[in-house]
Amino acid sequence: MTCPPDPGRRAFLSAIPVLTAGIAAPARAADTRSPHWGMLVDTRRCIACQACTMACAMENATPEGAFRTVVATYAVTTAEGATGLSIVPRLCNHCEKPPCVEVCPVGATFKREDGAVLVDGDRCVGCAYCVQACPYDARFVNHETGKADKCTFCSHRVEAGLLPACVETCVGGARIFGDLHNPESEISKRLKEAGNAVSVLKPEANTRPNVFYIGLDAALAGRVDGVSAADMMWRPDHQGG
Amino acid sequence: MTTTVEVLGFARGPDWLPWAVQYFFLIGVSCAAFFLSLPGLVWRLPSWRTLSRLALLAALISGLTAPVALMADLHQPGRFINFYLHPNFGSWMAWGSFFIPLYVGSLLLYAWLCLRPTLLRLAQRAGRLAVVYQRVSYGGHDNRQAIGLAALAASLGAMLLLLYTGMETMVVSARVLWNSPLVPLLFLSTACVGGLGMTLLVAALAGRRDVAPALNRGLALALAATFILLAAWFAGALSGQASAAAKALTALALSRVWATTGVWFLGTAAFTLWLAVRSPQSLWSTALLALHGAWLLRWIVFIGGQSIPRMGSTWFDYSLGIGPDGLLGIAGSLGLALFLYVVLTGLIPWDERAEA
Repeated sequence: MTCPPDPGRRAFLSAIPVLTAGIAAPARAADTRSPHWGMLVDTRRCIACQACTMACAMENATPEGAFRTVVATYAVTTAEGATGLSIVPRLCNHCEKPPCVEVCPVGATFKREDGAVLVDGDRCVGCAYCVQACPYDARFVNHETGKADKCTFCSHRVEAGLLPACVETCVGGARIFGDLHNPESEISKRLKEAGNAVSVLKPEANTRPNVFYIGLDAALAGRVDGVSAADMMWRPDHQGG
Repeated sequence: MTTTVEVLGFARGPDWLPWAVQYFFLIGVSCAAFFLSLPGLVWRLPSWRTLSRLALLAALISGLTAPVALMADLHQPGRFINFYLHPNFGSWMAWGSFFIPLYVGSLLLYAWLCLRPTLLRLAQRAGRLAVVYQRVSYGGHDNRQAIGLAALAASLGAMLLLLYTGMETMVVSARVLWNSPLVPLLFLSTACVGGLGMTLLVAALAGRRDVAPALNRGLALALAATFILLAAWFAGALSGQASAAAKALTALALSRVWATTGVWFLGTAAFTLWLAVRSPQSLWSTALLALHGAWLLRWIVFIGGQSIPRMGSTWFDYSLGIGPDGLLGIAGSLGLALFLYVVLTGLIPWDERAEA
């Protein structure tokens, strides 16, 4: 025979949600302004381990050979003959003036109030016009869904109070994600501290990216005049995917 | 001097596949061929009568095939309904989804109005399809006013299609080969080349060499216009006045595949021009060369344009597969065009000699 529940314990348990809501409510009331998400990539801290690439692929179940983020890696040899490694972690820039939104014929791509540029999968027709319009090569057509795919700043995680998978997993703490509207956020402080050392990819495209870089080699901020070690590279058409 | 080797990166493949090339090619061909049908069928110029009827056939074949190729590129054709449920009129592509039915619908109406007397004559011949011809001819009247109105609607549709296909490509500043104000004009001039080529092909199949001189004259003019536009593009690129064109030319010149393709295009286009001028009676050769040129320019623009890296250094090394997204897609759309040719010529005599 089971014992009847202790009325004291039941009262305590049923009161928890009320207490939780009571604690959370003042915080929400004080923060009336919606966040504006952005990311800062400190390339000096990146070791090109591709943990972010893998974490993103696992988290978002991207098809084999398709990536929402990747760390492009370059061997740069100076005139003096010294060779060093330069890296450019790349993802959707969640631009303030996103060209992908303008061209989408059905309005499936949109910019949310919190700054994230997202795709409404129900509406997307898979025409790939947004893929063509993106100056950063950040979009692709997912061949499993036949629809446009891209980085979402891991919106599903952010809404649950978590960090994007690439940020969470970054070994060197090179990716800083946060609210650009909040002057007390880590990203705002770091951007302020870095001052003129902050740059963006392809500033000439006038898209006003929300992904910022510290330590970015200007020669690598767009199309790079150089050769590619194509045979060493991942080629979905050659290696499957 | 600093040298850079991209040791790890990746190239995204083209997302506008050969289907897109087929669409842009066929719709341009159709619009241009439609305009060739006007002098004989709307303005009733006797010397244009035969040529215009053949041009209408060419416009129908390519105009009915083109939207199929476009829908095939959507991965799931039923999705086209979203173009009409949620149009974003800030996008040229959204406008295009309205221009296509305007053109194709009014082209079909125009063709039917032009063919009604023919259909009635076919009905008067005893045959198994006499009843069908009778019904479809709907009295068989030759209503010039209705033909004029349908032609006006189709002309508007054709002009808007030629405008939107060029603008849709031109506005993409992320693609250096596309981002030139000369692209819409080049699409227009080569659409004329293709439209004349398709009409020449239909004339060749019908054995109407008498229309060849007029068509070859037009072909020479369209090719001359194409060369002038190309010269302007090269001048802008080489002088550095057009920064996107300069970047595109630098990139393509370094690619052995695309540099060879470009030289091949220029060489064959020059040969076509020479042939059209020197041998105005040519039918098959100028027809096939003109179609080849109009198609190849779009192939270079779309597939070549998507191969140039936007970020990093890695080119996408495109190779034409044999599946539905490659050779089968091209062959399939040409097969549909052939099917339409067989059906349309099997049911309706387009050559007045056959009708008589």
